[in-house]
Amino acid sequence: MTGVPGSRAGELKGWQMRRLESPWMNPKLFWGAGLLLAIVALGIIGRLFWNLDLAFTGAAPLKLPPVGFENLRGQEGAWVHPIGTDGSGRDMLALIVIGAPNSLFVGLLASLIGMSLGIFLGFSAGFIGGRTDDIIRVLSDVMITIPPLLILVVVQSAWGDVSLTMMALLIAGFVWQSPTRLIRAQVLSMKQSGYVQMARLSGASTMHIMFREMLPNLVPYLFGSFIANVTTSIVTAVGLEVLGLGPQRIPTLGRTIYEAINAGALIQNLWWWWGIPTLLLGLMFIGLLLINLGLDEVSNPRLRKLQ
Amino acid sequence: MNVLNVSDLSIDFPTARGVVHALADLSFSVARGRRLGIIGESGSGKTTTALAVMRMLASPGFVSGGSIRLGDLDILTLPEDRMRRARLRRVSYIPQGAMNSLNPVMRVEDQLKDAIVAHEGRTDREALRTRLADAFAGVGLPAHAGSLYPHELSGGMKQRVCIALGVILNPELIIADEPTSALDVVTQRQVMQTLKDVQKRIGAALILIGHDMGLMAQSVDELVVLKDGVLVEHGDMRRVIENPSHPYTRELVASVPLVGGESFLGNSVAAPEITRSREDLALLEFENVNKAYGGITALHPMSFSLSGEEPRVISIVGQSGSGKSTMGSIMLGFNAPSTGRVLFEGQDIARMSQHQSREFRKNVQAVFQDPYACFNPFYRVDHALGFPFRRFGYATSDAQVQESMHLACQSVGLDPALILRRYPHELSGGQRQRLIVARALMLNPKLLVADEPVSMVDASLRATILKNIYDLKDSHGISIFYITHDLATAYHVSDYVMVLYKGQVVEVGPPKEVIGDPRHPYTQLLIASIPWPDPDREWGGTTTAAEDIAALDAMDHDAPTVFRGDVPGFRLDVGE
Repeated sequence: MTGVPGSRAGELKGWQMRRLESPWMNPKLFWGAGLLLAIVALGIIGRLFWNLDLAFTGAAPLKLPPVGFENLRGQEGAWVHPIGTDGSGRDMLALIVIGAPNSLFVGLLASLIGMSLGIFLGFSAGFIGGRTDDIIRVLSDVMITIPPLLILVVVQSAWGDVSLTMMALLIAGFVWQSPTRLIRAQVLSMKQSGYVQMARLSGASTMHIMFREMLPNLVPYLFGSFIANVTTSIVTAVGLEVLGLGPQRIPTLGRTIYEAINAGALIQNLWWWWGIPTLLLGLMFIGLLLINLGLDEVSNPRLRKLQ
Repeated sequence: MNVLNVSDLSIDFPTARGVVHALADLSFSVARGRRLGIIGESGSGKTTTALAVMRMLASPGFVSGGSIRLGDLDILTLPEDRMRRARLRRVSYIPQGAMNSLNPVMRVEDQLKDAIVAHEGRTDREALRTRLADAFAGVGLPAHAGSLYPHELSGGMKQRVCIALGVILNPELIIADEPTSALDVVTQRQVMQTLKDVQKRIGAALILIGHDMGLMAQSVDELVVLKDGVLVEHGDMRRVIENPSHPYTRELVASVPLVGGESFLGNSVAAPEITRSREDLALLEFENVNKAYGGITALHPMSFSLSGEEPRVISIVGQSGSGKSTMGSIMLGFNAPSTGRVLFEGQDIARMSQHQSREFRKNVQAVFQDPYACFNPFYRVDHALGFPFRRFGYATSDAQVQESMHLACQSVGLDPALILRRYPHELSGGQRQRLIVARALMLNPKLLVADEPVSMVDASLRATILKNIYDLKDSHGISIFYITHDLATAYHVSDYVMVLYKGQVVEVGPPKEVIGDPRHPYTQLLIASIPWPDPDREWGGTTTAAEDIAALDAMDHDAPTVFRGDVPGFRLDVGE
């Protein structure tokens, strides 16, 4: 842009150029997926090498700090419980090995169901149009204005204990609106596009046009929307758990934080009790955010950088 | 005294596939009051040059060498705030799509006011008002136009608002980047006249960027011809057009089709005319078809029948909004007529069984305007060719599909080895449009609807593609509806021409009569408004464009259609 006559182009080495050729080789995508996979790996490897019975109220000393720290009673961390124990003697590592994949699972399942609903409704609204479109559009617009946490708090308090899958299903009922709207808008504009007209001229069936011509072009948007929904679902799930409304018998990250708060972990300086699950949630969100940013660059080439 | 001196300007764009030299060692200068044209095809670097002068090059493009001097300013080293003050006051830019360059939520006069206030600070309100009124009057807009929003103005008016904005601070240099490419010929002439008048009045230099040799011949004094970022010819406009020295310039001049001139189709061999087997039923029939959107009639009632016994090329010409594309989409069954019926071989296309509907699709194909949108970016281009071929049951084996694709590519002049198995974004617009023609050829329909098939393709390729389409008629016996705004090409390719104006057929007949010697005032105006690549030929005759447009608006819309003769195999009735 400015008139510096240096050859910036020359500085762009061959390997940098090559790295750009496939948009999927995106560093953000790479790190984001890496973080999430690390959490999944923690769940799998933990299950193989760690005694998960330690996640239940046990014989271990209470409120033991992680290795290398000392708690207020002057007890030092021990390698039997490398990241400490909670207020009722449960091993933190075992809690996290079970809890972290559980939180991720709720998010993925809720988002998957929400997306499927969204794809179905969005295509129906955009393609069929007319009355169907009106109903779906009004419904999703209304649902968008309702804060999900509010409704879920009421539902779950009435329900009592729920399973993880049940909670995912409930949350899924609140994450289908934005994919519906997104897909509807895309389908409406794509319906007018030249290649859809060409496909109609080629005698293609409606199903062919929807799933073979349109859907492949929606993939980047769908991925992006899916990841955003996973984030929303996890936030909602953790929100419920921290209020003590999630599954009562299954360890989750949110439930661990709830118990820590309940037991006054903050004033007792038991930072590992609430801090480690919070850190893991943070990593999970950063991973999801990175994937989302990466996907954005994949679907929108203008955001791609040259260096 | 030169207003602008560009010397040895080079611009590079680093991309994933290596550095693209958008511009290499370009030098030219413009003097006060002179008009310079920069002509070239898409990708030739003409807009890049303009943006570099405004210092608005889009990242990652950058100037890799040379200098740009605007009067006493060295554009390339100017600090950003001084550059900002120089824009509009000293050099202004009139962009290509006026539709998109005005702020849709501001009244147009406020947008002009912003420009003045940004450069001169707050000024007296009364003085501001008179200046705005003068600015609007200067581009021939009524005084009340200022208080309108952009969507309330027509395309031509919006472009004139952009001109008013460009000249409001009396710059030394105006750069107009294809200011009329989105407008029809009548409006184009008016906008160009406005631009030339204003430029003369304020004595600025003008750089006109374009791809139309005819428009250049009628508008500029000096011409720069660019090809792939390299200057191939530079000189006095008359000299360049009448006596081009570079083969590329010659090609550009020759590629402009002329009414009455030599046919660009070449001496088509008088091939034995293929006739379809005689059928009792007409190939395509309109029965009192009309189309209304809300209260607006897009197409007035008309009936026609095309027998299809002998292949015919029927041209439908008109400005934007004349209803010609509506007619095309009704023929294809994409748009249902408000009243009346469309019959394909005697069968109403709205009431077809699945089998009949497949026959209809198989036999009525289309080429659309935008070759960029016609390919699904997800698939290789083979999909667009192979899918319908299989779908319509022509395919017997994969090898046979491949072979047909190769043959079709070869017959439209494409090398199959370079084209097939590629993704659409790897091909140029011209290649894609030829592939669409190849697709039609593979399917061998009885009727082809070609909706502005060449308006988005570079000029040098237009003739080739039209020739490809025309060959469909000669060697394959396909009847063609050619929908276009370009009368010169319609003159050469068609057997019969229909001129549409506001949804009404105003003049019909063989092209030699209708276009060669128009009778209806609208047709006459259309033809007079074509810019000829001939500096001696007056553009538009004696009347000014504004007068012509006024006359057109005053024209009696219920005037009867002028029938200028018939062609066997096609019959048209207008009205109830």
